[in-house]
Amino acid sequence: MSEDKKTFEYIPDNYEEEMLKRRQKARMKKVKDEEIFDLNINSLMDILTIMLVFLLKSYATDPVNIIPSSELEIPKTTSHISPAATVSITVAKSSIVVDNQPVLIVKDGKVDASQKRGGEDGYFIVPLNKVLVAAAEKKRKLAAYNPTVKFEGIATLVMDKETPYRLLTEIMYTAGQAEFNKFKFAAIAGDPADG
Amino acid sequence: MVKKRRKEATPELNMKPAMNLILILIPLLLTSMEAVKIAVINVATPQIGPASVAQKPQDTPDEKPLKLTLALTDRGITVFAKDQVIENKDDPLGPTIPKIDGEEEDANGKMVEARVYDYDKLKEILVDIKSQHQAEENVIISAEPNIKYEYIIHIMDISRESKEGKKKKTMFPNVVLSAGVA
Repeated sequence: MSEDKKTFEYIPDNYEEEMLKRRQKARMKKVKDEEIFDLNINSLMDILTIMLVFLLKSYATDPVNIIPSSELEIPKTTSHISPAATVSITVAKSSIVVDNQPVLIVKDGKVDASQKRGGEDGYFIVPLNKVLVAAAEKKRKLAAYNPTVKFEGIATLVMDKETPYRLLTEIMYTAGQAEFNKFKFAAIAGDPADG
Repeated sequence: MVKKRRKEATPELNMKPAMNLILILIPLLLTSMEAVKIAVINVATPQIGPASVAQKPQDTPDEKPLKLTLALTDRGITVFAKDQVIENKDDPLGPTIPKIDGEEEDANGKMVEARVYDYDKLKEILVDIKSQHQAEENVIISAEPNIKYEYIIHIMDISRESKEGKKKKTMFPNVVLSAGVA
């Protein structure tokens, strides 16, 4: 009986060799798998978590976020007063932007005469005034609902260092007409003498 | 048996979702991070209003207000005090502090020889005025239409505080910008 059973089983000639190979393969695979799962990411996680906290902190605290470029080169100042969350007027080499919203085009440090009341010699920049009046209105509405917010008529001016004084006075005059009479000139903190 | 149970008690924490989140958040925050530290200078414009508001009562009515004014022109800086020009002894008709030869950055960021403002002389004059008028804190700055914003910021810095060694002394922190010099 036992002999009969034996005859039904097919055993190849190189059975042992084959099994050995298979076992070796399985062992290699196991070693490989273990290597992947044993990768220690604890230290990497530590670094990333610290970085995340640091970045979140620097992200939340800054009301004025400026990235200098060739279009907007900001001068340096020795002042250390921190910026506040106000309406921001940015004057780059080619445009004027109010609260990240482009308002009008500047060419060679001048606003086109057609955009000003009174032509070339005028100080009142019409489109800028319109946007600033709307911004002031928005702030005032916010102040009406939220007693902790006050409309103080403060605007932050971020200007390219090549901007001529004439354009600066025009912008200040126009902002003054929209009830912004206090200004904060933003500049890079640091001693200009350091270069 | 004991060994097996201990192994089961500390299963591997699956950190993949947390890692994914962190790896996405970090580039996002890095790009929106402040590139430079920004500071501000408080500036006011001249107020127009009734005389009672505009004019402060003075302790010494006989004394004229100082009204320190710095006017920037292409030739130099003219300093006014009590509505009088502080004269330059070498050139009575010229500005109080004429420009001097120096170096300046051009449009490409290279240093080139140019006529520059004499900031040291300005500092000297302002320290002198401050020593005579300790209570005064206002300065009016004015400029020709083509004067660059950079110079105005620098003049404000100089008039705001003086540095003697490590000691900083506040001079004229209240800046008022007035309309341009004709």
